[in-house]
Amino acid sequence: MAARRSRLASVGLHAALVGASVIAVFPVFWVLVTSFKPDARAVETTPRLLNESSLDNYARVLAGEKGDFLAWFGNSVLIALGTTALAVFLSATAGYAASRFRFPGRRPLLLSFLLVQMFPFAVLIVPLYNVLLALGLQGTGFGLVLVYCTTAVPFCAFMLKGYFDTIPADIDEAGRVDGLSPFGVFWRLVLPLARPGLAVTAFYAFLTAWGEVAFASAFLSAADGSKTLAVGLQVFVQQNRTEWGHLAAASVLVAVPAVAAFYPVQRYLVAGLPSGAVKG
Amino acid sequence: MRRFLDRYWYAYAMVLPVVLVTGVLVLIPLAQGVFFTFTDINEGNIANPVLDRPATFSGVGLVNYLHVLSGDPAYGSFWSTLARTLVWTFGCVLAHFTIGLGLAVLLNRRVRGRAVYRALLILPWAVPSFISAFAWKYMFNAQYGVINQALRVVGLPDPVWLGQSDWALVAVMLVNVWLGVPFMMVALLGGLQAIPADLYEAAEVDGASPWQRFRDITLPGLRAVSGTVVLLGVIWTFNMFAVIYLVTGANPNTRILVTYAFERFFSGASRDYAIASTYGVLILSVLLVFVAGYRRALRGQEAA
Amino acid sequence: MAEVAYDKASRIFSGNPPVRAVDELSLDVADGEFLVLVGPSGSGKSTALRMLAGLEDVDEGAIKIGGKDVTNVPPKGRDIAMVFQSYALYPHMTVAENMGFALKLRGVAKGEIKAKVAEAAKMLDLTKYLDRKPKALSGGQRQRVAMGRAIVREPAVFLMDEPLSNLDAKLRVETRANIAALQQRLGTTTIYVTHDQVEAMTMGHRVAVLKDGLLQQCDTPRALYDKPGNAFVAGFMGSPAMNLKTVPLTAEGAKLDGLVVPLERRALDRAGADGLSEVTFGVRPESLALVGSSSVGMEMVVELVEELGADALVHGAVRIGGAAERFVVRVDGRTPPGLGQTVKVAVRDAGEVHLFHPESGVRLSS
Repeated sequence: MAARRSRLASVGLHAALVGASVIAVFPVFWVLVTSFKPDARAVETTPRLLNESSLDNYARVLAGEKGDFLAWFGNSVLIALGTTALAVFLSATAGYAASRFRFPGRRPLLLSFLLVQMFPFAVLIVPLYNVLLALGLQGTGFGLVLVYCTTAVPFCAFMLKGYFDTIPADIDEAGRVDGLSPFGVFWRLVLPLARPGLAVTAFYAFLTAWGEVAFASAFLSAADGSKTLAVGLQVFVQQNRTEWGHLAAASVLVAVPAVAAFYPVQRYLVAGLPSGAVKG
Repeated sequence: MRRFLDRYWYAYAMVLPVVLVTGVLVLIPLAQGVFFTFTDINEGNIANPVLDRPATFSGVGLVNYLHVLSGDPAYGSFWSTLARTLVWTFGCVLAHFTIGLGLAVLLNRRVRGRAVYRALLILPWAVPSFISAFAWKYMFNAQYGVINQALRVVGLPDPVWLGQSDWALVAVMLVNVWLGVPFMMVALLGGLQAIPADLYEAAEVDGASPWQRFRDITLPGLRAVSGTVVLLGVIWTFNMFAVIYLVTGANPNTRILVTYAFERFFSGASRDYAIASTYGVLILSVLLVFVAGYRRALRGQEAA
Repeated sequence: MAEVAYDKASRIFSGNPPVRAVDELSLDVADGEFLVLVGPSGSGKSTALRMLAGLEDVDEGAIKIGGKDVTNVPPKGRDIAMVFQSYALYPHMTVAENMGFALKLRGVAKGEIKAKVAEAAKMLDLTKYLDRKPKALSGGQRQRVAMGRAIVREPAVFLMDEPLSNLDAKLRVETRANIAALQQRLGTTTIYVTHDQVEAMTMGHRVAVLKDGLLQQCDTPRALYDKPGNAFVAGFMGSPAMNLKTVPLTAEGAKLDGLVVPLERRALDRAGADGLSEVTFGVRPESLALVGSSSVGMEMVVELVEELGADALVHGAVRIGGAAERFVVRVDGRTPPGLGQTVKVAVRDAGEVHLFHPESGVRLSS
């Protein structure tokens, strides 16, 4: 910076950032506030920060009074972690091949990463259901994991391809000369160096699975114990009478792992995400 | 042939898992979905292995397409729904981009507490979208929502946000903008950081004003990133189903193509898979046309 | 220890039309030899090296290392070590891990790796830095780590791809000498790629000059300098470059402004046989001399004087056949002519004149 910012400009800058941050955080904050209120207090026409607030909602949600919350949580964790692991594996291998090898079919592959993102998956539910049924995966968590992967992998592979592009090919070649096979190069050199990109990919895949409603309601059995959180939480939203206090408490419980997984990753985001976008 | 395999086998080996998974879970359903559009399939006549009932639907040729494209309200008023979808898509993406760019430019400056601001501003991305949808639905409530409460305090009219009016569309767009800005901001921030600082120094030496520097260095420098993120943003927003569905449900005022397809699919007496699939194919076609035009326009810009 | 042979090896990049990046290269490198591949950018020198490394396909012909055909052998089966222009150090490993990586992959015992790394580090003055990551090293240190990584392997052949081009000028000269000495000591066959003809001249036992994928000439630095095989090699080797001008040919010799340089019989005969009325005339700056104004010589208007200390380079214009041609003359640094002055220039010794075919560039003089 050649010139120091004037005091006024500095105040304006901070004001804009503070304003934007408040808007970004407020809904989350408000859910947190609401989660401590009894359902009846949550719908009073003059909202207040504290209104008979207590931890009762949490206690009741965790105790399973509103459905088997802990089972849903466990299902969601399994499915989200499964999706994360599989999606990272799939997108890293494909992304690396697309980044490093000039093989016939490379361009169609890259194009298909874009095309698959255009699919209105919501309306492919019946055909998807049929395919999963044929594979014997209908109603299973693994079937859902596969479906989530198809929605997350195209973007992830595209992003990782861009990240791999930023790792000099010289490193690969040095590894080859040092005695690695192409897979060895991928595993021992490129993956360790691509950690920021992988972290972002993992986070993206995790969120895809963690917050998805439509497939989860269609492909998991209706038994309460096999629901995911996103499906389970719909019980709080009954016709015209939403149990806002309980819903908020459950939401906080659901959001905490996602946010917790997010903050270690977020410092990589700026470096990991756009490099994928730049190189298209 | 041997030579070919020798040279490429590891590339294909690494691509195979993706091709296999997406091939099975995308191409087969897609082919089946396209097939459905030429039939009268619905929940009543589809094969049901649980009940051991065979399929009884039959081919109807292009009738589904004719029904839908006629714009008949019984089939979702295709053209007005398409128009609303375009308003929704371009409104959201424009807001995502301008707000995201503005915040990225602010964050790209040396400002105290930058890491904290960045972390807070990305928060909407980290929260699962169904929870954000609940939160906004709660805040938008006409009686006890905190938004109307605030509007009343400052003496502004307090509309029924999520009712049967265009306010509902405004509301879901606000929610979607809130959700989508962090992605744009992060992508553009990365793009900004990739612009070499000496370009700015050279421009300053040449006497360019801050606005000129923004217009002549920042924007061109972001062209590659913004070209990609805008394209992705349009695709994602066009097919964004969860936000609308979770915030307003099956409200005709917030109906876009993909939510209508889903409505057709899940609600209603008949569960009309044929019409839903027809909508799916039309959505895909619209996007394909858009993407082809967009890429051509981008390429033309690069050449110019 | 091994000899290396390129046998009509070609690398063809697909395209329209296909590009022959390396075109039927045939080259034999003796065991223990230091061979430099030199050429301008795009000459195929790096591609030739990468073919030897196994990083680039050999589309035609063959490559042998130690008598064994390695044309289709992957890099790890070739017993080679390579130093990259960018050094290509593994950023996530320490210096010691970088140097020992290849041995680790080969399953060498830990203790032995440690000993070998320590020994190489000592040789390269890196002992203090073994636990650092490459990021924390200076450019010169990184370069030495890259060298160390190659040495630890004890390979049959060292391959070096412009290993000095990222160093500053002073360090480059220093490292140049170190690499040459190290190679002498280890006696390992080395193929060294550079675009810098000074490096080529000072380091190589033999130098192979490439242009457009074709081998122009391969010989000792002295022979290349004294008897360049064609006009390209003549112009490429030597700094400042040889003066190369197309001049009319007469019965007595080559005709320059006010000066007829007598030519040897053989060259004249050959030119005559081809029916040439012009030849490409080459004379190095140090083969020209300033002479007194009454002597026979070309008149040159001085346009630039570069003082190098021991000597000076005088750039000037000479009129040949109506057009002004630039010449460079190396003169005694203590008495350079002034700018704008007109001086007389003569060839020191007619034996130091090189003649080339004006179209093909082939050497005509013996």
